[in-house]
Amino acid sequence: MRSFLTRALLLVAATAVPAFASEGEAPKGLLSPTGGLMFWTLVVFAVLFFVLSKFAFKPILAAVEGREQALREAMEQAKADRDAASALLSEQKKQLDAARADAQKIIADGRATSDKMRADLLEQTKLQQADMIERAKRDIEAEKVGAIAALRREAVELAIAGAGKVIEKNLDDASNRALVEKYLSAIETN
Amino acid sequence: MKSGFIAFAFAAAVAAAPLAAQEHAPATQAPAAQAPAAQAQGAGAQKSASNAGAATVDHITPHITDSKYLEVPSLDPSHGFQRAVTLPSGWPTFTIPLPLIGPFLVDTSPTKLVVMLWIAAAITVILLVGAARSHTRRHRHGLPPRGLAGAMEAMILYMRNEVILPNVGHHGEGFVPYLLTIFFFILIANLLGLVPYMGTATGDISVTATLAIMTFIVIEVAGMRALGKGYINTIIFWPRDLPLYMRVPLSLILSPVEMMSKLTKPFALAIRLFANMTAGHIVVLALIGMIFTFQSYLLAPAPVAMAVAIMLLELMVAFLQAFIFTLLSSVFIGLVRESAH
Repeated sequence: MRSFLTRALLLVAATAVPAFASEGEAPKGLLSPTGGLMFWTLVVFAVLFFVLSKFAFKPILAAVEGREQALREAMEQAKADRDAASALLSEQKKQLDAARADAQKIIADGRATSDKMRADLLEQTKLQQADMIERAKRDIEAEKVGAIAALRREAVELAIAGAGKVIEKNLDDASNRALVEKYLSAIETN
Repeated sequence: MKSGFIAFAFAAAVAAAPLAAQEHAPATQAPAAQAPAAQAQGAGAQKSASNAGAATVDHITPHITDSKYLEVPSLDPSHGFQRAVTLPSGWPTFTIPLPLIGPFLVDTSPTKLVVMLWIAAAITVILLVGAARSHTRRHRHGLPPRGLAGAMEAMILYMRNEVILPNVGHHGEGFVPYLLTIFFFILIANLLGLVPYMGTATGDISVTATLAIMTFIVIEVAGMRALGKGYINTIIFWPRDLPLYMRVPLSLILSPVEMMSKLTKPFALAIRLFANMTAGHIVVLALIGMIFTFQSYLLAPAPVAMAVAIMLLELMVAFLQAFIFTLLSSVFIGLVRESAH
């Protein structure tokens, strides 16, 4: 390892020392600047600086700035849109809730109304029924009284008619009497 | 595990040593960076690398330093599938009289690394402006970017939002284009150095020093604009809450420290980037050079495997150093702007 290092060092020394001597016109070390190269560096850099700042950096940075601006605007727009959408959504939800409550209320009201109505109707019907039964009873009673009276009148009429017939044929006749009685009993059974 | 691997490499090297004695070392590493005339000599010198002497040719330094030749792909295997293209010279030169250092020669003739700078800048422009076009087109339809444009946007946004703006401080938007340009330029230049036939522009101190000096100026101008008249306090230490007889000596001692701290920041930036980009290349070259040093094909897989591992590390370092340069620049700008409070 050491022999390699010394060999390498010797090589470098051997190659580097004559370099300064065999350089040609002017022996020039690595660290001595040359005017021509400095001049050209200055010129090339100045031109490059001018060209790049005018035709490269300015448009690129402008484009970047524009894009950032557009991005920022898009983000703000999106945020505004999202806010509006969420506001709309909450409003809609509120409306929906209100509508649902309304519907519930309407259904409850309807049910209550129908219940009440049914109860009323039932009550009314019951009353009417009772009324009708009462009237029917009264009618029947009246009819019965009328019929009994009519029957009695008819029976009197018939009795008078039968009696008249008997009297007409044979008044004071025993057999006649039996006949009348027979007739009367026959009516009675009718 | 690793030591076992190295031991295996050594066993292979020892076993292969006699075999390698008369084999023809392939001259693939002959540097196009050298003058073409030197290539024949380089190929010859390659064989006699063991008897290191006047004939030894340095293959590493020319590869990582600047040159007047561009390596282009070639179908000719005798020159290692590459051809040296001489770059034009004789472009205008001028000297800048620098104080203390003296006249500084500026030769505007293109060199290999200048061409690499151009290529890096062109790739950066194509990538980022292409991404920007795709961005605007798709943005008009309200679509996000995709593919490469999306990746570029991710990098830009990460650097801007996570690295630059938090470190630079309030109202730091004005520094974003500069720091982003620094980041992408260094990143592409770093990555370009990993492409075959290309060179690492950021592996040269001239390039990194220039970038660091520019950052230094940006930092100081940011400080002046943020602090106004109070900027002078970042250079000259002048504690107002101390009596005068304490203030003067303290100022005399601490003002140089303040100035040093100002200058070490860009210095560290330049050296860090340069050293990181250069080091990996030297390691890769040294590993590949082992094949030629030991003159063995049997040994070859071990250095190649290690070189591949180092290249993968380099890929990470390319991103990391671009990131660090940008991050530290942001931090320094933020520091000087915050120093008022």
